[in-house]
Amino acid sequence: MSLKRMILTLCGFYCVMGIMPLFFGGTDYIMNILIMILIWAVVASCWDVIMGFAGIFSFGQVAFYVIGAYASAILSVSMDIPPVFSIIMAGVITGLVGVLVGLPCLRLAGPYVALVTFAVHMTLVPFLRGPLGRAIGSGGSQGILTIPPIKLFGLAFSSDQLVPFFYLTFFLTIICTLVLVLMIKSYWGTAFLALKDSENFAASLGISAFKYKLMVFALTSFITGLFGALYAHYVGMLSTKMLSMDVFTILMIMMVIGGIGKYPGVVVGAVITVTLSQLLAPLGMYRPLIMGAIVVVLVLFLRDGIISPIIRLLSPLQRVVVEEE
Amino acid sequence: MFLEIIEVFTSGLINGSVYALMAVGLTLVYGVTKAFNFAYGSFYNLGGYFAWVLLIPLGVIGGYFSVFFMAIPFFFIVGYLLEKVLISPLRKYDDWEMKVMMLTLGLSLFMDFGYQAIFGPRIKSLPGIIEGTVQVGEVVLFQQDIVIFILSLSGMLCFWWILNNTRTGMAVQAVAQNPAGAQIVGIPKDFIFAATFAISTMMVGFGGILLCQKNFVDPMGSTDIMIKAWVITAFGGMGSIRGSLYAAFILGMLEAFVGWYFGMIHVQIATLTLLLVTLAIRPRGLMGRE
Amino acid sequence: MLKINKLNTYYRESHILKDVSVSVDRGQVVIMLGPNGHGKSTLLKSICGLVEKIDGQILYDGQDITGLASDKIVNLGVTYIAENRELFPYMTVMENLKLGAYSKNARGNEKENMAWVASLFPKLMQRQNQLASTMSGGEAKMLAIARGLMSDADLLCIDEPGLGLQPSYRVEISQIIKEISRQGKTVFIVEQNIPQLIEMADKIYIMEEGGISFEGGKYDVLNNEQLKEIFLGL
Repeated sequence: MSLKRMILTLCGFYCVMGIMPLFFGGTDYIMNILIMILIWAVVASCWDVIMGFAGIFSFGQVAFYVIGAYASAILSVSMDIPPVFSIIMAGVITGLVGVLVGLPCLRLAGPYVALVTFAVHMTLVPFLRGPLGRAIGSGGSQGILTIPPIKLFGLAFSSDQLVPFFYLTFFLTIICTLVLVLMIKSYWGTAFLALKDSENFAASLGISAFKYKLMVFALTSFITGLFGALYAHYVGMLSTKMLSMDVFTILMIMMVIGGIGKYPGVVVGAVITVTLSQLLAPLGMYRPLIMGAIVVVLVLFLRDGIISPIIRLLSPLQRVVVEEE
Repeated sequence: MFLEIIEVFTSGLINGSVYALMAVGLTLVYGVTKAFNFAYGSFYNLGGYFAWVLLIPLGVIGGYFSVFFMAIPFFFIVGYLLEKVLISPLRKYDDWEMKVMMLTLGLSLFMDFGYQAIFGPRIKSLPGIIEGTVQVGEVVLFQQDIVIFILSLSGMLCFWWILNNTRTGMAVQAVAQNPAGAQIVGIPKDFIFAATFAISTMMVGFGGILLCQKNFVDPMGSTDIMIKAWVITAFGGMGSIRGSLYAAFILGMLEAFVGWYFGMIHVQIATLTLLLVTLAIRPRGLMGRE
Repeated sequence: MLKINKLNTYYRESHILKDVSVSVDRGQVVIMLGPNGHGKSTLLKSICGLVEKIDGQILYDGQDITGLASDKIVNLGVTYIAENRELFPYMTVMENLKLGAYSKNARGNEKENMAWVASLFPKLMQRQNQLASTMSGGEAKMLAIARGLMSDADLLCIDEPGLGLQPSYRVEISQIIKEISRQGKTVFIVEQNIPQLIEMADKIYIMEEGGISFEGGKYDVLNNEQLKEIFLGL
């Protein structure tokens, strides 16, 4: 997709998102969905950059999200660090963990990367519940229940006042989206596409596969951790339930709907999936059952996600916009 | 102290033998079809529920003998259909490896919660294959453990024999070693892919029956098993049957001793550490080939 | 026996074979010459069902085999012997040979074929328990040919058997192909490094840029100084 079209699609999407509180500001149910869409859209975009553009089979995206959330929660609860700083520190910590995981694993062949990152995910549960986690303040299997809300210039951003929190998240989302778009389209982006195409070819151009993969891994981990932290201060409590396969699958559905490497398809995927997941919430344990079935069916029948058909539908409209400029 | 170590050792050996049975099936699938089956653990649970349904509500005649007898064709057909219906249509895509991972992950979620919906969220226990103990010197062994060990070992020997002495077994190895060469000599790749899935599903189902009757059937236990099987496979070298055999026993022992000395909660962390260190030194596992 | 009408093949965006028509009669030795990378291998692979996107018609014994799966084609008696050998590296010589007789039509004659292969390649038989990956290039090439013969095929499509080999092996290969032909097998071969083969040829094709640029008997080539120089380096 061309840069112009990508930015236009994103602009259109975020403009619509930005004015949503004007209509639904009073309805907490819908505001909650909107905030979750913003958060998940960024997390899923990061995953798309990792999988679709850098060609890394990482299955650790939810793990990084949870690491960010827990890091910020622990810092602000146990060490009394103001959330504004703890969120940024959580991002840095997650980025470092990303480097730590990436160092041994990005040199490996594709499936091994998937396996190691997924093993990191699976190990987080016993880690956070066990004595090691309790020692650093994870709260064991109970989790952390009293995470302070974000305070900025004397304003409290919490789940009591959804509209201000929405705009805080919106602001961060726009910044991170810009970073991701730059990453995809800049020299890095070209390098990644070359890497995905053929590592030997890229290597001959002097592009070190490992270095760039590590860079993208660190940066996306940072952003993911940042949004995990944001989420922690939004909901005010955390538990290892966030690591259940249920959450992982929701993120995966966003990718399947959006199409891997079809950015900003995942953003559309996030809108559909978050809404669907909220609507299915009353079904209890049938929700993951249905989610699992949706993945199977979508992977089988949706080749490139739904963004391509949508763009084909919208292309006359977009052409009008482009021509008017 | 010494007696305790012997006990821990035997439990490591027994778990190792069942893990070997399951990991060998998984590594075979990867080696031959290059597909990454993330639903493997859910088929382990299918083994447990299969035995439970036959033994408890249906009260089938012949007990475990009939269970094993019926499990073989059942899991063969399930595995065959899995490949034909869900995996092989994905092969036409460029990024089919990623799609297979996603599909099987979704399938595993579907199956796990399907078990909960059908059988309820609580764990189920199976009657033991055999009760009683054997005393060797001062060491007391459960007859059940001995039966598990013998059955999983004979399952593996059976598998080894099929792989090396039948035409289809040789064809399976041929596809793993050189898919293009296999096509040239006229081996029908599609059939071999499906047959490999069928064999591996048979092995994990068999392992599921063996371990579930020792422990219990836990609808949420599948991810744990899946990760174990995958770690063993990666640790041993993906696609290397001998490697995963060694890795299974090493991991069984590690698990038994770490669990005994430090507590079960540390087992997964120890396992991951071992995997990361191994892959840092040998990026293709213990016995992986270039 | 083999008749190809207007065959076209595609790989990704490129059009490899363009309207290729070839015919091979039973018992003949047909040789395909031409520069590298102009589609000779692709033609042999298309016949044997190893190329995905093909368009046109391939008739074998009057039966349309276009787009048929490779295992079905091997069953009908058409076998491809690859230029890069495609052996099973971690199997022994004997196991490789046995897998050569995998197809249904070859199973019944496995013993006779094994005896024939043993008489043709005595050196291979001495190494029957050696792993294929440990063999030298020339030996591996012999094994690839031997494995192809185990399939009991009537039509053998041999892809550059002499490529990268020492002259002694090339002489051996030409003798083996003569012997194969004497057994009544049809041979369709892509090769330009073994001049001795030209002597045996019943028909010669030259392929350039994905199309047939020349068709004729061996004397047409041998008497044409220009062709001789360009394609045979004589």
